[in-house]
Amino acid sequence: MKNIISYSALFGLFFCLQVFIFNRLEIGFGAQIFILPLFLMILPFETNVFGLMTLGFLLGISVDAFSNTYGLNASSLVLFAYLRPIVFESFRPREGYDPLKIPTASDMGWDWFLVVFGILFVSSLLWYFVWEIFRFTEILLVLRNLFMSVLVSAVAIGVSQFFFFNGRKKK
Amino acid sequence: MQNLFAFLRRFRVFIFFTALQFICLFFYVQFVAYPKSIFLSTASGVNGRIQKWEGGLTNHFLLEENNRKLRLENAQLRKRVFVNFYKHERPTHRIKDTLYEQEYSFVPAEIIHSSSARRNNYFTINIGEIQGIKKNMAVISPNGVVGIIFKVGKHFSLVKSVLTQDINLDVIVGKDGPHGLLKWDGYNPRIGIVTGVSSDLNIKKNKAIYTLGASGIFPKGLKVGTIVSKSRVEDQALWKIEVLFSEDYRTLQSVYVVNSLLQKELKSLQLEIPEDPE
Repeated sequence: MKNIISYSALFGLFFCLQVFIFNRLEIGFGAQIFILPLFLMILPFETNVFGLMTLGFLLGISVDAFSNTYGLNASSLVLFAYLRPIVFESFRPREGYDPLKIPTASDMGWDWFLVVFGILFVSSLLWYFVWEIFRFTEILLVLRNLFMSVLVSAVAIGVSQFFFFNGRKKK
Repeated sequence: MQNLFAFLRRFRVFIFFTALQFICLFFYVQFVAYPKSIFLSTASGVNGRIQKWEGGLTNHFLLEENNRKLRLENAQLRKRVFVNFYKHERPTHRIKDTLYEQEYSFVPAEIIHSSSARRNNYFTINIGEIQGIKKNMAVISPNGVVGIIFKVGKHFSLVKSVLTQDINLDVIVGKDGPHGLLKWDGYNPRIGIVTGVSSDLNIKKNKAIYTLGASGIFPKGLKVGTIVSKSRVEDQALWKIEVLFSEDYRTLQSVYVVNSLLQKELKSLQLEIPEDPE
C-alpha cells in the first residue's frame, strides 16, 4: 500500500517535471530532455509487464496532451515497457534479482544500470524520433536529435540517480 | 479452438503491446494528417486553461524583450496614424474612399504554449472560435510570419508554425525577384530553407525574403527573413537558399491572426481555373 502511494506520487512528479520544466527548456541543436522512461525503469523488478505497459501508456498520453505530441511519448514508453522484461532477463545476475532491491543505479550498481537503461532508453528514443520525423531522407536529423537528446537526458537522469535515489542503499 | 487459446496465451504480451501501439500511433497519425478534434491537445478547454495559467507565470521572464518589440512596433504604427500628418488639403466634405478597400483585418493574440526543438512545432494561442478564428487563417508577428491556424477550439487555437515539416509558404526573393517555397529542415529554429528558385538566377546574400501572398492567406510583402547562404541542389538546376528568420520563434509571445476579407472571392475565382486536360 505504501508503495502504491509513493509510486503514484512519483508518477505525478515525473509528469509535472516533464510538462512544466523539461518541455519548456530550449537547449537548441534538437536536444530535448526525456525523463519519463526513468519512471518505468525504477518500478520494482516483479512488476507485471501488462501493468508496466499500461502505466507507460497513461503517463505518456497525459504528457502528450500537454505538449502537442499526440501519442508519441505514449508509444515510445509502451515500447520501453515491452522491452524492459526482455532486457532485464538477458542482464540477470547469476543469483537472480534480489526482490528487496529496485532497478536504480545505487541498488544495482552503475555498470548494470548504464547498460540496461542505456539500451532501453536509446531504443525507445529512436522509436520516438523515427515516428516524429517519419522521412527516410531525414535520417541524419533523426540521428542528430537522438544523439543530442540522449546526451542531455543522460545528464539529467544521472544527476537524479546521484541525488534522489541514493538514500536506499543497503549494505 | 484449443490452439487459438494457446496461441493467444503465448503471445498475449505482444498482442497487448501491439494494441497499445496501435492506439498511440492512431492518435498521432490522426492528429498530423486529419486534424479534426482538439481532444488531447493544448487547445482543448481544461488543458488550455492550465497552459494559460502556466504561461502567465513564465511570460514574465520574457516581458522585457516583448515590451521592447511592441514599443518598436507602436512607434512604427504611430508614424502612419492620420492625426500625426499635416494636412495640405482641407476637404470640406467627406469622400468615400473607392481607391482602397480593406483587405485584411488583424486580431491580436498571445502565445501560451510553444516549442521549437521538435520536428513539427505547434503554438497554442489564447483566442478561438468565439473571436471568429477559423482554420487556415494566417498568423503573423511584428517581425514576420508565424504560421497558419491548424485547429480551432472554443477559446484557444493551435497554430501550425513555420517550424514544421510541410509548411510550404510561397515567398518572393526581394521585392520583385523569383518566387520560391519556404520550408524548414528541422535543424535550426532560426534558419529556414527556400527551394524552387532556378539556379541560373543570380541570388545575392543579405537580400530580404518576403511573403508572396499568392494564396490570399498571408498579406503580400511581409518580411520572412534574410538570405544567409545558398548552395546548389544535387542533380537539379535549383538553388537551396538558407534564410535567417526575422522573427525568433523561441521568444515569441504576441502575434496577430490575419483575417483575409477577400479570401472568399479569391478562392471562388481560382476554382474557375480549368484543369489540365490529360
